[in-house]
Amino acid sequence: MARVAKGIELEGVVVECLRGATFRVEMQKGHVVLAHISGKMRKHHIKILPYDRVLVEISPYDLTRGRILFRYRS
Amino acid sequence: MNTHASGPASPSIEVTRVADDQWQALEGDRVVGTGDLSHRSGGRAYVSIDAWHDAAFDRLARVMPAALPTPLHTVVDEDDHDLIARWRQAGFTPGRREGEYVVPTDPGVTGLGAAPVPEGVTVVPFGAAQEGPLRDLDRAVRDEVAAAGGWHTMPAEVVPLPPGVTVVDPAKYAVAVLDGRYVGMLRIAPVPRRPRIGLLAVRADVRRRGIARALLAEVLGSLHAAGVAGAWAEAQESNRPGLSLLAEVGARRVGGNVELERR
Repeated sequence: MARVAKGIELEGVVVECLRGATFRVEMQKGHVVLAHISGKMRKHHIKILPYDRVLVEISPYDLTRGRILFRYRS
Repeated sequence: MNTHASGPASPSIEVTRVADDQWQALEGDRVVGTGDLSHRSGGRAYVSIDAWHDAAFDRLARVMPAALPTPLHTVVDEDDHDLIARWRQAGFTPGRREGEYVVPTDPGVTGLGAAPVPEGVTVVPFGAAQEGPLRDLDRAVRDEVAAAGGWHTMPAEVVPLPPGVTVVDPAKYAVAVLDGRYVGMLRIAPVPRRPRIGLLAVRADVRRRGIARALLAEVLGSLHAAGVAGAWAEAQESNRPGLSLLAEVGARRVGGNVELERR
């Protein structure tokens, strides 16, 4: 079976909620990405607030963009 | 939006169904998009797509619906006009809309501190409801929904459960009791910092008596006492009693979702 490359997944903290389910997230190393909420999270009405700790998949095309895959409970 | 234009538009994207409810868009050996299918109460099917560029989204949006029975639904943030346009291109049309609200908990703001409990009604706080009668009430409410407007008018997140199983965790429910009978319930999802009101329901034969308001007063008061300033809530735009109650307690609309449907 062919090897499949997925995006890089990193933890970060939401620093700002923007319009259109978009968030500014500060990653552990300090760089900031603009991240959209994943379709699955939207379907399940998962809400994101500033200071929430989240798992972000970074775009393979643009390291300043990403997708929020998961919101941690604490 | 799920996509952005920073990636190349490639004709070489291959979409594969990797599980009954999952699709993958591959460009070479790289995953450039994923699709997901889930089901809700009443058998409604919901799809979502996450893609790194528009070509991957469009490819998934063509392949997935072709493999699935209609109707299909998806949920999009009301401000995400690009994504709404993409789903429309894929044959989906906007349907029900749901507002998202932040409900204050301070009785001084909600005005619920002095609200009288309807005659004969008592409110059982979280963790104190009896499981059997609570499950009976949940089943009765679900049957009323199915017999009346149907699930297509209900919030998207109402999940189907195996036959006979309704309430998942009784500790998350406050219950209104009238003459010894469970007649109303409010479920809270204990999300950190801002809990979410997941369900507020009253049996059809005892509505318009202030029972929902009494449940809200009890629950919001408890949250306020615990130091929580606000709670999330959603209401469909056509749900006039629900919107009226939210307005009455000073809830603030902070966003909303559009549900799109393909028939």
